[in-house]
Amino acid sequence: MSDTDLLDRLLAGEQKAYRELVARYQGAMRAVAYAIVGSRNADEVVQDAWLAVVRSLSGFQGRSSLKTWLLTITANTAKTRLKHNRREVLLDDLAAPHGTVGDERFSDDGHWLLAPHAWHQDSPEALLTEDELRECLEHTLASLSELQASVLVLRERQGLELEAICNLLDISLSNARVLLHRARLKVFATLEHFEETGQC
Amino acid sequence: MLTCKELVAHSSDYLDGQMTLRQRLAVRAHLAMCGNCRRFLRQMKLTQAVIRQMPDEELPELDALAERLAQARRHND
Repeated sequence: MSDTDLLDRLLAGEQKAYRELVARYQGAMRAVAYAIVGSRNADEVVQDAWLAVVRSLSGFQGRSSLKTWLLTITANTAKTRLKHNRREVLLDDLAAPHGTVGDERFSDDGHWLLAPHAWHQDSPEALLTEDELRECLEHTLASLSELQASVLVLRERQGLELEAICNLLDISLSNARVLLHRARLKVFATLEHFEETGQC
Repeated sequence: MLTCKELVAHSSDYLDGQMTLRQRLAVRAHLAMCGNCRRFLRQMKLTQAVIRQMPDEELPELDALAERLAQARRHND
């Protein structure tokens, strides 16, 4: 269903339309809130953002997509909540369960010392049929800093452009690129570890 | 000439289209000669696809929230 169709039903207060809206966008909204206020307050911010969305729905002009509008409201709600205590942990890089693709993988002249091996599975569907691997990946995602996890989710799962992520989270493009790259390498290391050992 | 280590360091920029034409060409030239980096990049793309396709977290409160929002909307007018 298009944004316009959904919007008409939302304005009419149709419960099924709200169910669809929440199911479609809550994940992205949570990722934005999580990045700005942290895990402890993210759920509350998302709830507040939903109420703000309902209040301002009549004013939605369709100048941006519904998704962009919802995420902007979420980011603003989160920033209002923070106001005085913006965290300064932008590039905080925590250790992940299976590490990353670090310098030790390369020789001094920059060639691979420990090159990647072929993986047994070559499709995401095949990889994700393994329950143990799924749990293992969740563990790795949970080990990322809040900001790193959110940038990864917004880019890979929600398909946002990097520039949109920077605007929502008030981070520079170079910071977003670093956060995203480090997060991907950690997930890569988990997949690689699992493919090599068959274990988490 | 780009090294394998540099290619890995810039692989996300390559995947996200955050490179200049000159940088892209340097990556392509390296990939044309380096099977290890071709494999690495293939596996990075697979990693992206896996993240994208991981199942969504369930929303147990979905119906209750939808009901509350629909009500709030109706009272708003």
